[in-house]
Amino acid sequence: MPKYELILLKNMMQSGYTGSLQEYERAGGYQALRKVVGKVPPTEVTMAVMKSGLRGRGGAGFPTGVKWGFLPKDYQGPRYLCCNADESEPGTFKDRQLMERDPHQLLEGIVLACYAIGAESAYIYIRGELVLAAKILEQAIAEARAAGYIGSNILGTGITANVWVHRGAGAYICGEETALLESLEGKRGLPRVKPPFPATHGLYNKPTVVNNVETLANLPHIIARGPEWFASIGSPPKSTGTRVFCVSGHVKRPGNYETPMGITFRELIYGEAGGMRSDKPLKAFIPGGASAPFLTPDHLDVKLDFESVAAAGSMLGSGGVTVMEEGTPMVWAALRLMEFFYHESCGKCSPCREGSSWLVQTMRRIVAKRGQMADLETLVDLCKNIEGRTVCAFGDAEVAPIMSTLKYWRSEYVALIQEAETANLIRLEPTVARH
Amino acid sequence: MLREKYRTEIEELLSRYPVKRSALIPLLYLAQREEGFVSEGAMKEIAGLLHLTPPQVYETATFYTMINLKRVGKFHLQVCKSLMCALAGSDTVIGWVKTKLGIGPGETTTDGLFTLSAVECLAACGTAPMMQINDDYYERLTEDTFDRILDDLKRDGSSSLKTGPFMWPEPAPAKPGV
Amino acid sequence: MANVTTETVRLTIDGISISVPKGTLVIEAARQAGVMIPHFCYHPKLKPDANCRMCLVEIERVRKLQTSCSTVATEGMAVRTATTVVNDAHKSVLEFILANHPLDCPVCDQGGRCDLQDFSHQYTATSRFAETKRIFQKEYFSPLIETQMNRCVQCLRCVRYCDEVMDVKALAPIGRGTMTEIKSFGNHPLDCEFCGGCVQICPVGAITSRLSMYEYRPWMLKRADTICTFCGDGCQITVQTKDQELIEVNSAHSGGRNNGDLCARGYFGFHATSHPDRVTYPMIRRNGTLVEATWEEALLFVAEQTNRIKQAHGPQAFGGLISGRCTNEELYLFQKFMRLTIGTNNLDSSARYGHVNGVQAMRRVQGTHRWTVTFEDIVQADVLLLVGTNITEANPITGLKVKEAVKKYEATLLTIEALQPAVGTISNITNLSRQHVCVAPSQFGAAVLGLLKAVIEGDHVDSGIRQRAPDYVSVLSHAVQQIAWEDLAVNTGISRDLFSQMAASLVRGRRVVVLAGQILLRSQGGYGICLNLLDLLLLSGKLTSPGCGFAPLAEENNDQGAVEMGAVAELLPGALDLTDQDSRDRMARAWKEEIPLVPGSTLIEMIDRASAGIIKSLFVVGENPVGSLPSQIRTKEALSKLDFLVCQELFLTETAALAHVVLPAASAMEKAGTFTNTEGHVQAVRPAIDPVGDSRPDWEILSAFSVFLGAPLEYGEAKEILKEIRSVIPGYGSLGPSPIAPTADPSAIDRYVTEGYRHDVAIRYTLPPRAVRQEGTVQLGLVQSLFHSGKLSTHSKGLLQIEPSGLLQMNPVDAARFSLGSGDRVRLSNNRGQFITTVKVLERVPEGLAWLPDHFAQEALRLFDCVIDPDTKVPSFRTAIVSVLKAT
Ligand SMILES: Cc1cc2nc3c(=O)[nH]c(=O)nc-3n(C[C@H](O)[C@H](O)[C@H](O)COP(=O)(O)O)c2cc1C
Ligand code: SF4
Ligand code: FES
Repeated sequence: MPKYELILLKNMMQSGYTGSLQEYERAGGYQALRKVVGKVPPTEVTMAVMKSGLRGRGGAGFPTGVKWGFLPKDYQGPRYLCCNADESEPGTFKDRQLMERDPHQLLEGIVLACYAIGAESAYIYIRGELVLAAKILEQAIAEARAAGYIGSNILGTGITANVWVHRGAGAYICGEETALLESLEGKRGLPRVKPPFPATHGLYNKPTVVNNVETLANLPHIIARGPEWFASIGSPPKSTGTRVFCVSGHVKRPGNYETPMGITFRELIYGEAGGMRSDKPLKAFIPGGASAPFLTPDHLDVKLDFESVAAAGSMLGSGGVTVMEEGTPMVWAALRLMEFFYHESCGKCSPCREGSSWLVQTMRRIVAKRGQMADLETLVDLCKNIEGRTVCAFGDAEVAPIMSTLKYWRSEYVALIQEAETANLIRLEPTVARH
Repeated sequence: MLREKYRTEIEELLSRYPVKRSALIPLLYLAQREEGFVSEGAMKEIAGLLHLTPPQVYETATFYTMINLKRVGKFHLQVCKSLMCALAGSDTVIGWVKTKLGIGPGETTTDGLFTLSAVECLAACGTAPMMQINDDYYERLTEDTFDRILDDLKRDGSSSLKTGPFMWPEPAPAKPGV
Repeated sequence: MANVTTETVRLTIDGISISVPKGTLVIEAARQAGVMIPHFCYHPKLKPDANCRMCLVEIERVRKLQTSCSTVATEGMAVRTATTVVNDAHKSVLEFILANHPLDCPVCDQGGRCDLQDFSHQYTATSRFAETKRIFQKEYFSPLIETQMNRCVQCLRCVRYCDEVMDVKALAPIGRGTMTEIKSFGNHPLDCEFCGGCVQICPVGAITSRLSMYEYRPWMLKRADTICTFCGDGCQITVQTKDQELIEVNSAHSGGRNNGDLCARGYFGFHATSHPDRVTYPMIRRNGTLVEATWEEALLFVAEQTNRIKQAHGPQAFGGLISGRCTNEELYLFQKFMRLTIGTNNLDSSARYGHVNGVQAMRRVQGTHRWTVTFEDIVQADVLLLVGTNITEANPITGLKVKEAVKKYEATLLTIEALQPAVGTISNITNLSRQHVCVAPSQFGAAVLGLLKAVIEGDHVDSGIRQRAPDYVSVLSHAVQQIAWEDLAVNTGISRDLFSQMAASLVRGRRVVVLAGQILLRSQGGYGICLNLLDLLLLSGKLTSPGCGFAPLAEENNDQGAVEMGAVAELLPGALDLTDQDSRDRMARAWKEEIPLVPGSTLIEMIDRASAGIIKSLFVVGENPVGSLPSQIRTKEALSKLDFLVCQELFLTETAALAHVVLPAASAMEKAGTFTNTEGHVQAVRPAIDPVGDSRPDWEILSAFSVFLGAPLEYGEAKEILKEIRSVIPGYGSLGPSPIAPTADPSAIDRYVTEGYRHDVAIRYTLPPRAVRQEGTVQLGLVQSLFHSGKLSTHSKGLLQIEPSGLLQMNPVDAARFSLGSGDRVRLSNNRGQFITTVKVLERVPEGLAWLPDHFAQEALRLFDCVIDPDTKVPSFRTAIVSVLKAT
């Protein structure tokens, strides 16, 4: 029995719950929509979301109501809502569950958001691999349309909110909101230069809001139970509500756990997830998806909220917590993630594109015991040269594993290199002055 | 040829977007469903449907890993090799494929039945190790389930071991009488 | 519409205070302050993409470094470009960009003018990259353009140019991450407009021209800035040579009226000059064959024969024909030679083929012989109406201005074209239209009438003109009332609705420019349609508004100059009326000699007179009437009857082959002078190489004739002629960066709206006859091709590689109807004859039409009828109904 009151996972944790419209309605679904659509002015819905303190669950944690407030007030043309269901951040698998198990919860959130921002069309941009989730959503949309929750005259109010599923086709970067928009426009998923921001120049250059699945799924509850209720959960005032944390790696019970924000990593890992898989001591963990810097056992008592994790030198990110036990080679772990970032760098901007290929090659060399001491300095330099100089936040993300493992486990790098040196493997020529 | 065969489906797809080009990825999927991969002919036809030039279709198609511009095996095994799965032994899974099917990443069995790709995170880290075969996920793989999946596929073309709708950890079964 | 804002903001760049227009990017503001910020992906023509990250700068009170190429300057901004932090950032980004770049500078054509080389030299001499470089397999890219993708820095300037500026979209970034490479489609070679823009805009040596591969190091080349001779747009080109050899042509960004943009002809067509078939020595016909002679012999022979004929038959036995490709100096001297030395007004130029229609219409309605707008006005227009232009092929650079107006500044584009919107390998202006009327050229007139009717009946007539010329308005209103919407619909296939929408869009515009192209100008009734288009502007109150005007597009590079130099029978220099006594007097005073009184014969009249034995001798400079006019005119027979035919030529054309004397003329690459482009801008022509063989500039030859004829028109260099031109046409040629367009003359307009419009109103406001087209036929049209514009282009190895022969272009539906596919042979015939050619299926060709590029159409000319405009004497022979049969 979960220790905490479930909000998002509540329905689906009832055994036998299939997520059909009927069951969702029986569990109180679509009441929030009925409560506000055509009755409460959209600006008040936005106000409520602002008051709730809801922050984006996609990674950056931007206050959702504030983001909606950036849309131009007097703009006449179409506006769009995009639901970010790209879920590609390694270590994250909550959106998939929210969509496959309780699709109407998301749909209700989407329609509420459409109503609040005045969008008549919403696209759920779902990563291409999630074929099943896409099918389930399509079915749910059909059900909701038939029931009048979605379409051109929702609940007889004359208000239009159409929802479509749009499948991606395999590109992590399409989770970045502007790359998502490009991809949705049928182009290569390259992030756009900001400003302008999607709020003014988004999909088809029209005002657009991009929100994560989990963010949107919270909306029916906020509207139904009131922003004050929501704001009291978690660690107010800055991190309100629950998060669905995805625990993976060397734990006994990996999986999705919804808890209020503000519990500690220790509680999550040793409580919810059952502790370490082989009862070896914990060596390291990633607190918020592959883009978040690694943390150490020293950080186990850090609270799982935006500010605390940031203060510990990492980020809460997407809520993907990956746990590594003693004995896990950290240089190898960093390389694995670097391989991911190298594979996924879109290639638009030079520091990320060239930097990722450089970093991955150097890391491979070090792991293959062909490194040299000078490489460590180069790695740090390259990371610093990428960070903050790229078009999108991918650049900052890709250097996190190397920077943080170098910070905490530099000795493992050094050991690999020393091994290389003593084994007297092929020496590279002096690296400087090759050009 | 897509135009004739899938007229209504194409029209429906186009009707979803105010700008035609948005239907590009959906149409690439349609072509891939038809032929198993996206041929040049299909790309040209799609270009025509969307008022794009063939290079515009091509540039988009080559950006996304799920669009195959070459034929792949009937069963496309995509084993996640990202860190989270690696912590749970995904390299072993790739090893199984090698010993059982004789193919490494990027290779196809000579009978054209299986292609192996080592892919990046598929949003199933909590149920690692895992692989996707065509549209379906197979999670918490063990050597035993892996063997059974291959047998099923060879025999029936599908396997009941596929997973989803996803829920992990699963809710405890309802207590009788509650 | 371009935002013509006068608001400015003040900022500092490295402490230098500068004020720039609102909206200026920091990188541009810095440039204006004299601070160069290094960059690769930024280009002023393109939307910022900020992908290279080279241009990072520090901005006060902003935490992270910002890309100056995508940051807009704001009031009070303080930018620093030279701090250690910025310098380190530049160094590190450069290190990244250089990481995967091969160091093959010694064999790279870009070496010596490469941004990457230059910045590397400036910032860093070393790199720590010791890993394996990315390698792309070398692949064949295209006949003219070479790619070397290992050198690519992925700035995407080429791709963005191809899309944003050209609207061609032939280049695609393929794959992702470091493995992104620029390709076209699959493994297919590039198939595109070959404008060379990607070659020019690539900051490194990743895309280069195959025509000059490995032939030079930039510093070995000599450069001459001159003007392209392929069309009336008048693009500035820089011809680069090595020891008299033509190596490469390019155009400096922001150079010339073309702003550095070129088309395939300009970029790849320069080899005609060095073609081995050039006529390189004088020839005299002896015993029926042309044999080599010295200049002395040839000139003496010309003098003898001319004197003999003049004595026997008088000056009216002579005629002269000159090409609108010659310089102003030559055109001027030619007409002076004909009028004074010979004593006749029988002279004409290639402007007669169509350009005269537009000029005469402008003269009649608004009293100018030039546009009242410039290219800048096209870019800044908010409504553009194109009629019969096929602009992307015929006048590609004016086409770029239209594209810029539409794509960048969201102008409304209205088109009446014999073109269907269809995405293809070359751009198609109708793809950008807001409202498009697709009709056959024979119905352009009907479509314009439909628009006029919609303007009048939609109550869009400007109140000013109503007051000023009530009669004019009521006559025209009455005239359009006589035309029924039903008939219009039958003629054009266009509904009243569409005409009304177009009319509404048109009148809504504040800056409206109407462009008329050669397809209209050369078609039957072209003159009348031009007048009607001017009526349209008058009625909607746009004719005299700033930024509004009528712009007929010239085909030859100097057709406009030909008119302005008086190289047509009816006009004196300055486009003055030959029959106007004041003008005659003025010219006579300047020339200190009387101008012959007898009105001159125009092109077709001269041929008729030659045929009738009245004209005995013709001087032909660079023209080829035998090859250009339809067989019906019997030009060859007529010219064969001449006692004496002199041709000044680059190549032995069909006409030159009949000549008694052929004189080798220098091409535009080999001489100095000026050209006047379609918008009336006079630009300097400069020699890039010495004249080939014994050839001489045409003006030198004409001057020598006059000396040998004892009435010397002697000039030491072309400049002296220009000086004289300026004395007779005050202030001729601004030669500045942009032309000053004349304004419409109010008294001329008054004359027109009171009386001037009357005499042909009834004819102009009548629907053209419907073409009756039987089953099994198509309407064949001669069109300009992007890759060719006549005898020069067909001697250019580059252009021939793209388009070696003329193909009959037809719509897929028609092709299917005749069971034809691309590459099939087809026989076209009518009662005049037949002709066999090869088919190319193209979606942009409307159903029922078929196109033949006119410069490969000499054999097909026998199928065409020729109609002469009674007012302007323009011959039109652009369409014919032909039966189509698959040939085996
Ligand atoms: C490289 C990159 C990948 C991202 N991937 C995802 C993703 O898969 N899912 C997601 O919801 N947000 C992702 N984001 C965050 C989005 O850009 C964006 O902030 C988010 O969708 C906003 O929604 P929210 O405010 O509801 O969190 C990613 C950001 C970056 C820079
Ligand atoms: S940081 Fe990486 S992913 Fe983001 S735009 Fe640059 S190249 Fe693309
Ligand atoms: S020039 Fe600014 S990012 Fe390339």
